Amino acid sequence: MDEKELIRRSQAGDGEAFGVLVERYKGKVFSLAYGFTRDRVAADDLAQEVFIKAYVSQSKFQAKSEFGTWLYRVAVNHIKDYLRKNKRRMKEIPLEKAGDRALASSDLGPEEQRLREVEREIVQAALARLPEKYRVILTLRDIDGLSYEDISGILKLSPGTVDSRLHRARRKLREKLTGRLGRQGGEYGLS
Amino acid sequence: MDCHKAERFLLRSLDGKLDPEEKTLLQTHLEKCPSCQKKDREYRIILSLVRPQTVPEPLPYFKERLLAKLKEKDKTAPALLWVKWAHRAVALSLAAFLLFGAGILFFRPEEPREVSQTERFLLQDENPLGEAASILDQNKAEDRSMMLIFASVGDKDMPRRYRP
Repeated sequence: MDEKELIRRSQAGDGEAFGVLVERYKGKVFSLAYGFTRDRVAADDLAQEVFIKAYVSQSKFQAKSEFGTWLYRVAVNHIKDYLRKNKRRMKEIPLEKAGDRALASSDLGPEEQRLREVEREIVQAALARLPEKYRVILTLRDIDGLSYEDISGILKLSPGTVDSRLHRARRKLREKLTGRLGRQGGEYGLS
Repeated sequence: MDCHKAERFLLRSLDGKLDPEEKTLLQTHLEKCPSCQKKDREYRIILSLVRPQTVPEPLPYFKERLLAKLKEKDKTAPALLWVKWAHRAVALSLAAFLLFGAGILFFRPEEPREVSQTERFLLQDENPLGEAASILDQNKAEDRSMMLIFASVGDKDMPRRYRP
């Protein structure tokens, strides 16, 4: 069924139509939440809350933008709230200790794969320590692979601002990682 | 091209946003600059590591669990609406009370002004116009003036008032 028709029906109170929209977008919303939390259960909870928020405020959606863009905006705002509220509770892994878990894990298989996982964990720890606006834009672009235009619509920023903020975020992430990956035994030796 | 500009080009190249001419310029710079080669390598490594290796699926029965929650929410919605309106009513009453209090404070009636002796005299006089007439009836201007002065001073002591 056409998405516009689904939205119209859903706004008129048709739960089944909303269910179809959930089926279409649950993967994207979950993936976005997982990009921030790296925790399946937390990402699932967040995705559920995002859809509840979208259901409650769907009357506010006007066809000025794509439904997906609007839903992403609801999701990003909700996830930002979640991160702020849980900042103290969520333990940030110190960069020095990032990778310990992967090193200690015995079921990672070949050495190369294990090292890769260690490095991934270090990058994740550095990403989590970036200011929120940089973390959000890097997640949308470099993890979820959204286009500049989509990011511009979701964050309500001009494409020029998206461009400059994204570049600044990548620079900051590189600065945080300089000397870290090599020290943990990574094959690339960023230093 | 300097290294600063090269880094900007490097970052744009990660998104495939360089036109062929810019690509050539960057390539030429990279061939000569080991520092920018290193940066280029680092950015690409970080980009490959920032993505999770695999993104798991949502937990089972995602839609069913969600729709059940929404059904529950719809059931409790009228009660929630009532609570919302009750909160608003309390807030409005409080605001009205505060406005009323402020109104009383700012617009309270003035204290009754103390009546001057002249006014008291005029009020006590059964016919204040009679006195005024007697003042005006005086032939001499000095007498009239003196009577007016005494009347305006509001001398309480009636016998001391000037009587020509």
